[in-house]
Amino acid sequence: MKRGWKSPIYYIVLWLVALIYFFPVLWIILSAFKTKSELLATPPVWIFQPTLENFIDLFQREHFWPTFLNSLLISVSSVGIAIVVSFLAAYALSRYKIYGSDFIQFLILSIRMVPGAAVVVPVYLMYAALGWKDSFWPMTLFYAMFSIPFSLWILKGFMDGVSLRFDETGLANNASRFHIIFKVILPQVKPGLIAAFVFNMIFVWNEFLFNFILGGKQTTTIPTLLVSDSIQQGGVDWTFVASLGAIYLLPPVIALYFFQKYLLVGMTFGTVRGEV
Amino acid sequence: MRRIENSRLYPWLLLLPTLIFFAIWNIVPLFWMVGMSFYNYSLNLGRPPRFVGLDNYLDYLDNVDLWLAMSRTFTFVLFSVGLTTLFGGLLGVLFWRSTRMPGRRLALTLLFSPMILTPAAIGTFSRLNYDPTFGIFGYFTRLFTGQSLDYLGTEGWAFAALIAVDVWMWTPFMVLITLAALGSVPAAELEAAEVDRLSIWRRFRYVILPHARFIIMLGIILRTIDAFKVTDLVYQLTRGGPGGTTEVIGVMMYRKAFDALTMGWTSGVAVITLLTAIAFTAIFLYILNLQKRRRLLQ
Repeated sequence: MKRGWKSPIYYIVLWLVALIYFFPVLWIILSAFKTKSELLATPPVWIFQPTLENFIDLFQREHFWPTFLNSLLISVSSVGIAIVVSFLAAYALSRYKIYGSDFIQFLILSIRMVPGAAVVVPVYLMYAALGWKDSFWPMTLFYAMFSIPFSLWILKGFMDGVSLRFDETGLANNASRFHIIFKVILPQVKPGLIAAFVFNMIFVWNEFLFNFILGGKQTTTIPTLLVSDSIQQGGVDWTFVASLGAIYLLPPVIALYFFQKYLLVGMTFGTVRGEV
Repeated sequence: MRRIENSRLYPWLLLLPTLIFFAIWNIVPLFWMVGMSFYNYSLNLGRPPRFVGLDNYLDYLDNVDLWLAMSRTFTFVLFSVGLTTLFGGLLGVLFWRSTRMPGRRLALTLLFSPMILTPAAIGTFSRLNYDPTFGIFGYFTRLFTGQSLDYLGTEGWAFAALIAVDVWMWTPFMVLITLAALGSVPAAELEAAEVDRLSIWRRFRYVILPHARFIIMLGIILRTIDAFKVTDLVYQLTRGGPGGTTEVIGVMMYRKAFDALTMGWTSGVAVITLLTAIAFTAIFLYILNLQKRRRLLQ
């Protein structure tokens, strides 16, 4: 039995499965290097002279760089804020007996479980009434809220794993709570911070619906640009879709390679931990 | 400083920023939404909202479109969750013994990549793949059947095409969950089963399943919640068409709110989906606590 598992055939089958799943993604990346006629050719073109023309065209569009910058700024600042805020809250929930803390955690997690289309209607009405549409901070803070539930759950999980002794030793040595939180506990939950940062970045980077509805010229991110600018006169601009798609999907895939061990905790909102 | 830190309110002070976020972006919109659901408020009429009491909710009772969208959503959930669990479980078991595979990390990155891409982009690009003239699926369909078939434009096919994309995107998630579940089985018990020469079926039933079932259940519920939420993918792929055959509840809310601009009516539907989502979350946490309690007992 053992010998059977180790056989190269087993590994080849696994690699094939992985490649089959990756194929549609690869197809997008390959398409980005094709000319328009090659991209739309039937039968599909497998061997072609790669061209960078689509990317050059993309970089010269007036919307590309502002949008790229928006995506980067909005995701980094919103996730940064969310992590600071939820780190403090996670410490409180992990170390103190707070009345109704289970209920607070339940409510906060349920935010992430509601269909986006249900949340976006009231948020849209609120933003329209307050004049918050299409401005940087309301957009960023909305995404910070969007990232809090997951960060809070993941950080609380990691903090529960840090022994109370550390806090007690610190207090006995007359250290302030502030010192304990940031100098004693923080270094020990670093994996949690990394996981929260990486996966929230991916979620915000990917988010489309809220940006599409609440955003505008000043706050457009890549998924929204991909949808709104894909239609040109006379049909869909496929070379644009392919080249922007390729640029947009590379960061998450690279992150997935380097932070693979956090994928499970990331995809289950910090509730399930284990080895894969 | 010390006095603040020793005060009973200190933990609440730490929680305060989170609670402020929660209040501004959840409590306020929530009340706005519940309130609005008692009004007839159409942005395109240019009239102020008119209080109609429970009229919106009474309308849901015999609104055929809404019930069709609901039943479509549950059909979608059933197929999507069922198929991803089936394929994900099988592939998870297949990948179980792959720890020493050459290039495992890269292979898993490739395998897991579909689930971390934005559905909006996948939806857009899948439209090209399904295109009867230019798409790769269109090409193979012509090659094998000799006929061209417009998957996304044909009633009956569009829904299946949508499920196929969703299953492709989310099977990796169930592979991940299955691998985690299998990893939670203690190695000692597996070795004992091997020494005792238990049959594969008995090993699965009495050794693996008792440990693995919690994580599997959590995975299935998360998948259910996610399938219930589906909006971006459908919107980009079919816009709810053809003939409304792929209009799930998320897309319906979107269209009623931002195409038809009937905010009051849509708010009521949003309230109903919100309650459904909270119920799912409660089940999820119940199972999570069950798992914790079991661990404590051991």
